[in-house]
Amino acid sequence: MTSAIVGRLSQALLVLLALSVIGFTGIHSVGNPVYNVVNIETATAEDIRNATIALGLDQPLWWQYCRFMSNVLAGNFGTSYIYHLPAFALVMSKVPATLELATTAMLIAAPCGTLLGLLAGRRQGGWIDRAVLKASVFALSIPSFWLSMVLILLGAVAMGWFPSSGRGPTVLLMGQEWSFTTLDGLRHLALPALTLAIPNVALIARLARAGTAEVENQDFVRFCRAKGLSSRRILFRHTLPNISIPIVTMIGMQFGGMLAFAVVVETIFAWPGIGKLLIDSIQLLDRPVVMATLTFVSVAFIGLNALVDLFYAVLDPRVRLS
Amino acid sequence: MRAFWKRPERGRAGFARLVLAAYVLLALAAPAIAPQNPYDPLQIFGWEASSPPGTSSGGGYVYLLGTDGLGRDIISTILYGLRISLVVAVTSTAIAALIGVTIGVSAAYFGRWVDAVLMRIVDLQLSLPTILVALIAIVTLGPGIDRIILAIIIVQWATYARIARGVALSEIGKPYLDAARLLRLPTGRIIFRHILPNSIAPAITLLPIELGHAVALEATLSFLGLGVPIDKPSLGSTVANGFQYLLTGQYWISLFPGLALFGLIASINFVGEDVRRSLDPRSRSHDA
Amino acid sequence: MTHDSALAPLLAVRNLTLKHRGESGAATILQDVSLDLHRGEVLGLIGESGAGKSTLGNAILGLLPAEFDRMGGTILFDGEALDAADSRSWGRIRGRRISAIFQDHTASLDPLMAVGPQLEETIRATNDGISRQDARIRAIDLLIRVGIPDAGERYHSYPHQFSGGQRQRVVIAIALAGSPDIIIADEPTSALDATVQKQILNLLRELVDETRVSIVLVTHDMGVVSDITDRVVVMRHGRVVEHGVTSSLLDAPREPYTRSLLAAVPRLRLSDPETRQEAGENPKSPQPQARHELAGTPPILLASGIKKTFHRRSLAWFPKGHGKPALQDVTVALEHGGITGIVGESGSGKSTMGRIIAGLETAGDGTLEIDGTAFDIARSGARNGLLGKVQMIFQDPAVSLNPRMSVGATLQESVRFGTVRPGSERPDVATMMDRLGLARSLLARYPHQLSGGQKQRICIARALLASPRIIVADEPTSALDVSVQAEIVALLRENVTERGIAMLFISHDLALVQQLCSAIYIFKDGKIEDKGPADFIFAHSRNPYTRTLIDARPRRFTH
Repeated sequence: MTSAIVGRLSQALLVLLALSVIGFTGIHSVGNPVYNVVNIETATAEDIRNATIALGLDQPLWWQYCRFMSNVLAGNFGTSYIYHLPAFALVMSKVPATLELATTAMLIAAPCGTLLGLLAGRRQGGWIDRAVLKASVFALSIPSFWLSMVLILLGAVAMGWFPSSGRGPTVLLMGQEWSFTTLDGLRHLALPALTLAIPNVALIARLARAGTAEVENQDFVRFCRAKGLSSRRILFRHTLPNISIPIVTMIGMQFGGMLAFAVVVETIFAWPGIGKLLIDSIQLLDRPVVMATLTFVSVAFIGLNALVDLFYAVLDPRVRLS
Repeated sequence: MRAFWKRPERGRAGFARLVLAAYVLLALAAPAIAPQNPYDPLQIFGWEASSPPGTSSGGGYVYLLGTDGLGRDIISTILYGLRISLVVAVTSTAIAALIGVTIGVSAAYFGRWVDAVLMRIVDLQLSLPTILVALIAIVTLGPGIDRIILAIIIVQWATYARIARGVALSEIGKPYLDAARLLRLPTGRIIFRHILPNSIAPAITLLPIELGHAVALEATLSFLGLGVPIDKPSLGSTVANGFQYLLTGQYWISLFPGLALFGLIASINFVGEDVRRSLDPRSRSHDA
Repeated sequence: MTHDSALAPLLAVRNLTLKHRGESGAATILQDVSLDLHRGEVLGLIGESGAGKSTLGNAILGLLPAEFDRMGGTILFDGEALDAADSRSWGRIRGRRISAIFQDHTASLDPLMAVGPQLEETIRATNDGISRQDARIRAIDLLIRVGIPDAGERYHSYPHQFSGGQRQRVVIAIALAGSPDIIIADEPTSALDATVQKQILNLLRELVDETRVSIVLVTHDMGVVSDITDRVVVMRHGRVVEHGVTSSLLDAPREPYTRSLLAAVPRLRLSDPETRQEAGENPKSPQPQARHELAGTPPILLASGIKKTFHRRSLAWFPKGHGKPALQDVTVALEHGGITGIVGESGSGKSTMGRIIAGLETAGDGTLEIDGTAFDIARSGARNGLLGKVQMIFQDPAVSLNPRMSVGATLQESVRFGTVRPGSERPDVATMMDRLGLARSLLARYPHQLSGGQKQRICIARALLASPRIIVADEPTSALDVSVQAEIVALLRENVTERGIAMLFISHDLALVQQLCSAIYIFKDGKIEDKGPADFIFAHSRNPYTRTLIDARPRRFTH
């Protein structure tokens, strides 16, 4: 058990290390960031050289990477070329908005998905099952950017119920600004959260359905019937615990995925989170911010995955007691 | 239990197949049937920009679905965009499948450090959300259709590799491969005559699903402005072009291309689901 | 029926006919089946695969999947028709009056719930108004009754922490929880080793005698039938072939099918070989007994001091160093042209030994010599040149042939890449098919179009066509029906000895090994427990483990 934890965490760390190398070389090969700092029209060669030295871009690549890594470990990603703010602080200031969005979406998706999946899997081939399956394929086929637009068109442009962009008024709570505390904030939250939630409802429902169907077909469920348990007791005491392991895994992974997929939704709804910040920074070649964002999302995602795996181990006695 | 898997879905999948076939035909015939060539500035009338559906054109035809902000006929943009979306998706999926299956089967066969190294890479990649991998790839590679294709291949090969490796490993554990080894067959013969033919089915099952993902991914990247160039838009970039007009009520510019895109992905996914189900051993009846 | 008890039967199946709606159309699974079960008796339901015996068991439990249709007949339980029962009446019947034991003890228990609570919930579901406290006391009592040591301490252990035999004991305890009148036991011991199987059967018999519960025992194994059933019903292709009191049916079967089933069961002979030779019933080849250790003729293959440890792969990046040793200092020799047997239960290391000899597995330590040539078995078989010297016949013919290659292609490959012995010509595929009793038309077929027996013959052909001097046969008949088993054994004996091939025959079945082999090794936990000429071992060995193995055999088939 302990060795499993150590193994899993060391694996997560190695993944992060590999990722940082790939990310660093990647971002380095796109454009010269010097031109973001100096005005390309008026700058003299002298200005450019000074700026290059100031940014440390004259050093060899590996040296830049080492310096970058030591800075990363110290939480120092450098200063944004555009905003002239510490990159990491900038990213962290955008995190609550994204977290708020992803959490809301998951709070919609997880219960809806699990419930639909259970209902569908219990009566395979029934009308609920067929409807859930069909709807899930449609839901997974809608490109999220277009879904956002359709929701804006219906909810904001046509009906005027919800605002089409921004975060609305925020209230300071525990040192952070939050939208969900006001009614107007919730209205702003509704459309983007729904966009993020819809494909996840479908994913979780399909997984729960498959799990239910599989577990219900296993011998021990047949044995539970043969030994005289009621079907309700079988569903809640045997089927549900057995499908909860993959569902919890899925929810954890999808939550991490939402942090990444927020890129699209945040861009469209002008939601001031890390996704929008990432796309803006890529387009503006704001390297420190891109790196800080990618690092944060990766760490969050890989950390979440590792947590989910360990949670899995706690839930399953076969792993826990081995 | 098994009865469920039989007929009810057949009608739906049949319809989805028809829709998909129609999409492919339309894409192939685009130059012949599109009212205008949206890449040719001479055929576009700038003063007819943002015309609503049904407006008559100076070119002697009706803009059935209206025009976009540059005056391009929406139907024509959809037809031409469809070509680009399909070419990008099909090319990248096919190459990704080829590379992935080869790598997966090799990893399984050679085992030891080859397997360890390849599978760590696969793990690394599959542990990240696809959009993140795609963003990292595209940021590294730069813009252009070929780069998009490359980015999608980078995103997808790992899925095939993992599936193919898993299947190949379970095949390698079976006695018929032990028998092949006992005959000292050449490595090539073992891989191509014995392992590959038995590992290919799950990869084929993946193809349509991954094709759907590829279409969606290309569209998303293009939408974010990181995909195909704006002068030859795919369906995704066409939708993106229309976004700015959405709030002023000119819905058609983004709504119709998006609908076409949605229909394309949905028909691919329905066909994919049917293929997966028909190849799933659990859904087949007992063998003779 | 034949049972002339004045009492009405507890359970009566009358003219039951069931159809299964499959993708390829409807098939009749049960045709006009009738049987009676009386209180306190064990009724055996025996048949080969496809006989419909498990379906009948499920029908009695009301657990048939929806695509089965009852075309006629009825099942009467205590005078009431079960097929009319709705889900509410089933709730009062299942567990309390009719209960079940399934074959797969691992799959029968919820892996996420400790065994005590699984038993406790059954007790509470099947006994109205019982308090939690009483249910728990009852559960511990039951666990003790079925022979779980330290039942109190192990109450909160999970299924995976028990051995296979103990898990099946827990399953039996659960089946008993509602004090049922009938237990449907579907192959309850087929997944267990012979020694454990014997213990479980003894337990079931005790329970029947003690509680007057009735058991319907579904099995394919004549040995199980002869050991504990009172009466037996023989089924084939969904019909009842014959039924009667077990001892008289086994002594004097009336139907040819029953006779052939009985004849196919391998019998173990414990009498002295001399007395048997006088009786003229030595079926063995005229090979001299294995006396290599005495006679001094060098063996064709000598594997000595073999050690092997399997390393477990873990979640961590690097595999761990320690693992469970599979083989500890094992030495095996094969005679020229003789058949040598390895007998052992699961986990004894017998298959690993076979794979090391064939070059499919490396060994941690030890030497291997074939005809005086040594091979470095610490390295993989492909590198040390061992691969190709030995051919194998595997247990499960269903996965032993490449499903995407036709039979002809498979056999041709074997001829093409097999060894050619100097002075002999390449073997001919068609002749081999004739020798093994296979129609030449099968060459164009694919494996899934063949029966299990046909597939195993093809596997034998594949091994022989490569012209090896040594063949390792790893449980080659275990996956086959009894009647097919006998044919395969006969084929192996003829074709292998005739060609002067030395064979290592690995099996868990003592009788089979006795029939085929001149010398045997008995494996236990990766070590050799006993060895010697086959007849000597069975007649005179004093090794306690060998005696346990012999005692675990059904008495009726041991002479």
